[in-house]
Amino acid sequence: MHFVNQTFNYDHPWSHVVIGMWHKYPNPKCSHVISVDVVDRSVDPKTGLIRTERILGCKQKAPIWIVKLFGGSEDAFVREISFIDPKTQNATIISENLSLSQFATGLEQIQYSPVSSHQTMFRQTAEIQARMALWRSAADGLERWLAQRFEQNAQLGKTAFTDVLRQLWEERHMQGATAA
Amino acid sequence: MADSLSPECTPLKKEYDSCFNAWFEGYLEPAVSISQLPAQQQRQTREEYSRKKAEEFQRKCGKLWEAYRGCVQKALKGKGLDKMLEQSREENAFNSMPPVIQDKAK
Repeated sequence: MHFVNQTFNYDHPWSHVVIGMWHKYPNPKCSHVISVDVVDRSVDPKTGLIRTERILGCKQKAPIWIVKLFGGSEDAFVREISFIDPKTQNATIISENLSLSQFATGLEQIQYSPVSSHQTMFRQTAEIQARMALWRSAADGLERWLAQRFEQNAQLGKTAFTDVLRQLWEERHMQGATAA
Repeated sequence: MADSLSPECTPLKKEYDSCFNAWFEGYLEPAVSISQLPAQQQRQTREEYSRKKAEEFQRKCGKLWEAYRGCVQKALKGKGLDKMLEQSREENAFNSMPPVIQDKAK
């Protein structure tokens, strides 16, 4: 079992971060994400909570032994479920791997909540676990590889999203200034 | 905006995404500010606003969603992802918001 934990503050209000969520991809810093599809979405007519289920397509360069042993292909798919609650100003995003899931599960939870009117805290936890009694060194190796991939992608994701938020809101600010 | 996993769905997806984004950006800030109202007004105001906006979303983006969904369902099937998704939903539906991370750490 591998765990990853991190927190980080974005210098943007919560609403800007949550609007920015839908603009994160495509992103040159996250070029492993090649497709994003919405497969389900609901707006709760009572609470205003928005639930979205998406499938992200990723190009993974798996070590050759993983491909041989587990039959993984170059394409990997991730299921992502997000909840945006304007009442409590909480956005939570759960992701899990669809590909290779018979061998190992990676479950990630991200949360965005306001720190102040202009700062948003990002919290991330992830658990990566080989699912069954694989030949031990293979299971350890698979876990380690998935954890490394995850950590690399998590870092990239953070800096990539920082760029998106800056660009998006600088652009809009400029447009606002010209319009006025 | 990111592409769909199937190139033929990408135009439909982008139309739907644009529709959602436009709706969402109008929805969010007023929805957040309801929490600043006096406590006794919040519930009714939120229910009225949520119902109105949920209907508006359906009215504005419903047709685009149906078109895009039809396309992407077919594409998922073609890649065998429909079964994987079904299986994953059976194991973990994630129908409601999970507990906040802070609470989990305790």
